Amino acid sequence: MERQSNREGIKGWLNPGRYGLERVAYWLMRLTGLGLLVYFIAHVFETSSIVNGKEAWQKMLELTQTTEGHIILTIVIGMCVFHTVNGIRVMLGQGGVGVGKPGRPDYPYKPASLNSRHKLCILASIGLAALAMMYGLAVLFGE
Amino acid sequence: MQESVIMKIHYGTALGAVVLVAIHILFRMTQNFSESLQYESVIANYHFLPYAIMLELILILLSVHGFNGLRVILLELKQGVGYEKAVNYGCIAAIAVLVAYGSRTILMAGFGM
Repeated sequence: MERQSNREGIKGWLNPGRYGLERVAYWLMRLTGLGLLVYFIAHVFETSSIVNGKEAWQKMLELTQTTEGHIILTIVIGMCVFHTVNGIRVMLGQGGVGVGKPGRPDYPYKPASLNSRHKLCILASIGLAALAMMYGLAVLFGE
Repeated sequence: MQESVIMKIHYGTALGAVVLVAIHILFRMTQNFSESLQYESVIANYHFLPYAIMLELILILLSVHGFNGLRVILLELKQGVGYEKAVNYGCIAAIAVLVAYGSRTILMAGFGM
């Protein structure tokens, strides 16, 4: 019963504030993953209009090739870059790369795995996502 | 299947998808973005067999990766025998539906059906 009451469910998952940058990365990873999955399903549906001929395809393009459509695509580019770069960081971390050597847990119990290298990688993935979004904006709106 | 094996599949599909999606985006960049989306240009892409095979691979890799990611998120939120079974089988069914629907587009556009 005690354990039940400690469960925060989705509220706990959505709270990025308590555990520093790694928690923000964890939160962004899931949020971007869900966003990309929604986009992927929509993209599969969107491109299926090509089998209905040129007119159906043009109608779908009129719907998606708008200012709003381009803004959504720019957000997707940002989500994609962050998810990729941070995903590679997570994969390397799980493989033992850049997590430091195991040591005796002494006060103030700072985990060796949450080190500056990984923090730098998280910041780099956010930075790269921002750069990619700017490039995407230039390509989509620069025509 | 063991969770460790599933995570290896998750990482494998991620790495494969990164490479193939990069090629997919580069194809859009070979010409002006809006020109590359013209009907004739897209149909020509589907008629080019290596590209169509690549699209099919992207479809499978991203479906598996995406729905397995969703499965992991849902299992983190709540546990229970019935719930876990529903999530696992629900995600497998979603992968099957999405791959079938996407493959239909690739086949029909590729063969001009």
